[in-house]
Amino acid sequence: MAGRLVIKLASVAAFLLAWHVATTTGAVSSVFLPSPAQILAQAQDLIASGDLWKSVLISSERVFAGFVLAGLVAVPLGVVMAVWWPAKAIVDPFVSLLRPLPSITWIPLTILWLGIGEQQKVAIVFLGSWIYMLFYTLAAVQRVDPLLVRAARNLGAKDVAVMWQVILPAALPGIIAGLKITLAISWSCVLSAELVAAQSGLGALIWQGKDWGNLPLVLVGMVAISITVLIADLIAERIERLLLPWERHRRT
Amino acid sequence: MLPILSAEHVTRTFSIGRGADVVAVQDFSLDVATGELVCLLGASGCGKTTMLNMFAGFIQPTEGRVLLHGEPITRIEPRCGVVFQSYALFPWQTVQGNVEFGLRMQRVPADERRRRAARFIELVKLQGFERHYPAELSGGMQQRVTLARILAADPEVLLMDEPFAALDAMTRQEMQEELLRIQEASRKTVVFITHSIDEALILADRIVVMSARPGRVKVILDNTLPRPRHVTIQLSPDYAALKAEIWALVESEVHRHGGEQGR
Repeated sequence: MAGRLVIKLASVAAFLLAWHVATTTGAVSSVFLPSPAQILAQAQDLIASGDLWKSVLISSERVFAGFVLAGLVAVPLGVVMAVWWPAKAIVDPFVSLLRPLPSITWIPLTILWLGIGEQQKVAIVFLGSWIYMLFYTLAAVQRVDPLLVRAARNLGAKDVAVMWQVILPAALPGIIAGLKITLAISWSCVLSAELVAAQSGLGALIWQGKDWGNLPLVLVGMVAISITVLIADLIAERIERLLLPWERHRRT
Repeated sequence: MLPILSAEHVTRTFSIGRGADVVAVQDFSLDVATGELVCLLGASGCGKTTMLNMFAGFIQPTEGRVLLHGEPITRIEPRCGVVFQSYALFPWQTVQGNVEFGLRMQRVPADERRRRAARFIELVKLQGFERHYPAELSGGMQQRVTLARILAADPEVLLMDEPFAALDAMTRQEMQEELLRIQEASRKTVVFITHSIDEALILADRIVVMSARPGRVKVILDNTLPRPRHVTIQLSPDYAALKAEIWALVESEVHRHGGEQGR
C-alpha cells in the first residue's frame, strides 16, 4: 500500500513538473495555459481576500439545499413506487419524459419563475437530481430479497413492520449508493447554473476569470471544484459507514 | 387425538406459461402429531419444498387443505416457524437483533427479550457472538442463528427446509445432533425436509418417502431406532437394515423417473 502511495505522489509531482517546465520555458504560451506558480499566486490572493472560501461555501449551500429537497421528494416517492404499482404507473410517464432533459435546459424557465437568485440555483439542483435518486431508490427497493420479507412475516411481522424493519433497511445500502452518485450530479448542476447566471459561487468565479481574461482565476476555480467535490464525497463516505455498519464486513 | 398439522388430499399445480401446468404435489395427505419429528424424504424437485411452503402459508393448495389444529392455513402462519435453507438472516442486524426479531414482533418487553434471546443463543452455542453481524459468521454459525431466531419466537411447529444441506459434512453432523438435543428437550413438532436417507434416519420419528414429480406420498415408515439418538446410531445393524429398505423404495423412484425422462 505504501508503495502505491509513493507512485501516486510521484505521478502527480512529475505532471506538475512537466507543466511547470512547459509553461516557464515558453513551450506553451501562458495565454493558453498559466503556470502552476501563477495559479498558486492567484489562489493565495483569493484565499487571503476570503473570496475563494465564500464561493465554495455558497455553491455548497446551493447543492446541499437542492440535494436535500430532492432526496425528501424522491426517496419516499421511489419507495412508494416500488411497493405500490399504481403509484409507479402514475409517475412513470413523467419520469420517462423528464429524464432525457439535462438540468441546464431548465435554466430559462427557472429564471423566468424564480429570477437569478438562490432559489433558482436550488431549483436547478433539485430538477437535475431528483430523477436519479428516484431511479436508484426504486431499483434498491425492488432488489430486496423477497425471502427476507417472507422470513419476517413468518416471524410475525405485519405490513408496517415489514416496511420499516425489513424493506427499508434492506434497501438502504442501494439507496445510499444512489445518493452518493447523485451528489456528483448535483454539483455539476449547480456549476452549470452558476456559469449561466450568477454573481457568486464557484461557477461564477470561473466565468469572471473568463470575462476578465484572468486564466489563472479560471484554473483556481476548477481546482477548487475538484477539491470541494472530493471532500463532499469523503464526507458522504463517512456518513455511509456510520449508517451501514454491517456493510463493512460484506466488502472484506 | 387431533393432529397438530395435517394435509388433506393436497394438490398444487404451477402455471409455466402458455396455459401449461406442472403438478408439483398430488393428492398428498399427512397427519403430524404434537411433538413428532417427521421427515419428508425425496429427490430434488419432488415437491417437498412446495409442501413445506403450504404448511407455512406462503402458498395455497390448488386442491385439498392444509390444517393447523384443524383450522385451514390461509395466510403466512407464524405458528409454523420456518428454518430456511439459505438462512434468510437480516444482514443489518446483529446475532442478538436477529434472534430478538420475532420477540420484537410479539411486542415482548426489551429486558425479557434480551433474556430469552440469550437463552437461545446459548442453546445453539453462539455465546460471545451476540454483537456480530451474519456476514462475519460461517455458514454453520449462520444456520445456528436461524435456528435460535425461530426457537426464540417459539412457534408450535418447526418447518425445516433442508437446513443443513449447504453445510460441510462435519458441521452438518454437529447441527443434526444439536437439533436432536433441542427437539428432545423441547418436544417441538418438526417437519424436516431432506434428500438424505441418513439424515432422515438420524432425525425422524416417521419418514415420509415421496415419489418423484408429481410429489406423492409413496410410503410412510416408522423409524424404530431408539431414542435419545446420537449420530453414532449409523453404526447399528438396525440402521443398516432400515437404510436398505428405504434405499430400495427410493431407487425404484429414481428409475421410474429416469425412465420417464428418457422417453
